[in-house]
Amino acid sequence: MFVIITYDVGEKRVGKVCKKLREYLDWTQNSVFEGEIQKGKLTKCLNELQKILSDEDSIYIYKVENPNHLQKDVIGQDRSFDHTFF
Amino acid sequence: MENVRGVEVHYYAICKRKLWLFHKGIRFENDGHERVIEGKILHEHAYPKMDKDVELEAFVRIDRQDGDVLREIKLTSKMKKADRLQMLYYLYILKQKGIRKTGLLSYTKEKETVEVHLDDDGEQEVRKALANIQTILEGNIPPFQKLPYCSKCAYKDFCFSGEADQDES
Amino acid sequence: MNRDIFILSNGRMKRKDNTLYFEDEKGEKRPIPVEQTNSIHFLGQVDFNTSLLHLLSQHQICFHVYNYYGYYDGTFCPRNPKVSGFTVVQQSAHVLDPEKRMYLAKSFVLAGIHHMLRNIRRNGSNDTAYSDTILSMLDRVESARTIPELMGAEGHCRQVYYDAFGQLLKNGMEWHSRSKQPPKDPVNALISFGNSLMYTTIISEIYKTVLDPTVSFLHEPSSRRFSLSLDIAEIFKPLIIDSLVFTLLNNRRIQEKHFESKDGAVLLNSEGRKRFLAAFDEKMKTTIKHRKLNRQVSYRYLIRLEAYKLIKHFIGDEVYKPFKAWW
Repeated sequence: MFVIITYDVGEKRVGKVCKKLREYLDWTQNSVFEGEIQKGKLTKCLNELQKILSDEDSIYIYKVENPNHLQKDVIGQDRSFDHTFF
Repeated sequence: MENVRGVEVHYYAICKRKLWLFHKGIRFENDGHERVIEGKILHEHAYPKMDKDVELEAFVRIDRQDGDVLREIKLTSKMKKADRLQMLYYLYILKQKGIRKTGLLSYTKEKETVEVHLDDDGEQEVRKALANIQTILEGNIPPFQKLPYCSKCAYKDFCFSGEADQDES
Repeated sequence: MNRDIFILSNGRMKRKDNTLYFEDEKGEKRPIPVEQTNSIHFLGQVDFNTSLLHLLSQHQICFHVYNYYGYYDGTFCPRNPKVSGFTVVQQSAHVLDPEKRMYLAKSFVLAGIHHMLRNIRRNGSNDTAYSDTILSMLDRVESARTIPELMGAEGHCRQVYYDAFGQLLKNGMEWHSRSKQPPKDPVNALISFGNSLMYTTIISEIYKTVLDPTVSFLHEPSSRRFSLSLDIAEIFKPLIIDSLVFTLLNNRRIQEKHFESKDGAVLLNSEGRKRFLAAFDEKMKTTIKHRKLNRQVSYRYLIRLEAYKLIKHFIGDEVYKPFKAWW
């Protein structure tokens, strides 16, 4: 499935959450990650994120079951990188 | 006698083919299967204060131990018979060592627990299961049989791999 | 869904914050999600240290190294946690018994020829001369009694297949015959590079199973490090690589200008290499509906399923039938 994850967390935990998400998904914008991921992996990722979070923090997860159904438009700077070729 | 793990007793009650494959080292539990991961996470988080993964034998471990109570944590209550047999096996092992304990199956998500006691019937059941397991492990791979459980099994792709009968061209 | 990562530039691959980073020559760092990484292909000159190897081992990620010319150099496979002594013994028993060995060797060859015929049918004119010739030679493949005999019969079929290339390639691409080490023309350069990718891709998939990659049937066991990969490649090279070559050349997505000559070899230049890799990666992700699993599976996953079928064959569960594209 395709997911978009956004987060709004206390300053001390921003770095930790960002680093954790880098293990699983591609960075899109500040506090936003996206990418295709298997359900099991997502479960694992969210479980690890939960350990970092504090009460006032929040993470939103938007899921699209079939990635082909996703339509993405960009206005302004498209900062997405190639994730296969370096 | 081959060493029998708790999970193998569980597989025996669900799918003899899975038991056989697992025992021969052909395993798919660590391939990122969703339910396996969910199970692991649940196992990691539930009952943090109790003793974790207590060794009953070199190859047999119980999820949690809290005094005289053995606790096994399960993701769903859909396989109660197998869960019970697995717990009976743990209690049986302890009884061989002269230790008496009670078993508790925790269906954490469903907020349900089931107590398991080892009585004579239960002991009989374990002995029979162990004998059958030996026979299965000594024999050929049990043929594929479609079960309702298949769709959620980590071994599914292995069992369902194969070519449909096709016209040779 | 896991990705293959292709490193074409020179730079440094490293572990940082428990994930992968690639730092290019300008010092620009880009993270790579380690959890989504299937295997890594190093085509550029890349520095790394053991800390990276530890991370790759934790996640069971293999990497493959190619030299300056794009030829395969070697593979790093972390210690494999999947061990089934039982399966390896059974796999070996199928090499030791000549009849069992021939069954598997023939299966690979016949599936390969099936896909060669498919390429002729799909890309060729209405001229059936080449396929007819190959079909008339199939008897010799099927009745072969030794591996050299089988290899010989297969070689004859393949010769006719390559003869047909002149008709299958449009846009006036030069073609005489298959030449390796070095490839003498652009088409050969593409086939050689593609075959290396096929070989490494299969190594990565075998690695995820309990199969022993050095115990093979058509190819002499351990004739090369991972000879089982060569066996399985027989099925998939014509299906995936050759058809990719035809598509890319016939659609002019790859042209003469994407090649260069170096030391008597014709090779893809960096733009050509990138185009071919992109097309290869896309092809491996393409899905087809699997008739038994009843869901979409990628070409890459088809290779894993092929390994599963072999395991089933070895352990006496289900007789192996090679994959043959039916559509």
